[in-house]
Amino acid sequence: MAKEVALDCMGEACPVPLIKTENALKKLDLGDVLVVQIDHSCAMKNVPEWARKEGHNVEIEEVDDGEWEIFIEKTK
Amino acid sequence: MDIKNNKFYQMWFKNAWTYVVGAVLLSLFQIVTLATTNDPWGVSGPFANWGAWLYRAVGGSVDKWYYFSSKGAQATLAGGFFKDAGSIRNLGVIVGALLAALLASQFKFKKIKSVKQVAAAVLGGLLMGYGARIAAGCNIGALFSGIASLSLSGWVFALFLFLGAMAGSKLLVKYFM
Repeated sequence: MAKEVALDCMGEACPVPLIKTENALKKLDLGDVLVVQIDHSCAMKNVPEWARKEGHNVEIEEVDDGEWEIFIEKTK
Repeated sequence: MDIKNNKFYQMWFKNAWTYVVGAVLLSLFQIVTLATTNDPWGVSGPFANWGAWLYRAVGGSVDKWYYFSSKGAQATLAGGFFKDAGSIRNLGVIVGALLAALLASQFKFKKIKSVKQVAAAVLGGLLMGYGARIAAGCNIGALFSGIASLSLSGWVFALFLFLGAMAGSKLLVKYFM
């Protein structure tokens, strides 16, 4: 059963969100979804970029002014 | 029509510009800066002047400091904030960044996560500021403008910036992960 895990990166600046995302994704199983919560616009660029390069499915949602949730589905 | 869905609003104000667009604009405007002010673009130098003005405002004096001993530095300090092109430019960068965040409706007061984060930010800021001044330049003055002026020193700066970033990343992973 695939699960959804939230990763709180609010108030964190680069490159902390990216490194946290890399570490968190390692612990997940195939098909699981990691929801990275960020409020740092650079992370909104480099986290999805990294995840897409790794081949995962990525979606970004702007949840509030300057706040985003990046949905990463682990595909490999 | 809702401006949020307007194609040009999204292209110019909402979505981040590409690195290439940023690089081209920075290159063009550093030429404009050199042509209009006769100095290459620098960022951290004016901050030292801000510090000197603040120190003077509370009754201190930097007249005997070696750093401000040159005629040029004294003239800049005597001229004041509004006569210092670098100071106005730095103010423009700050106001411009604020405006860009507001136009994209991404402005937000971020909460402080921990005392550790504050300590690291303060320590990092002090080290960067001090380092930039004893190196006579920061990422912009020494690296960007150095390389743009075809100076070897810019490339040497780049090499050690890279080594420093590697060491910094290791420390970051060790203490912040």
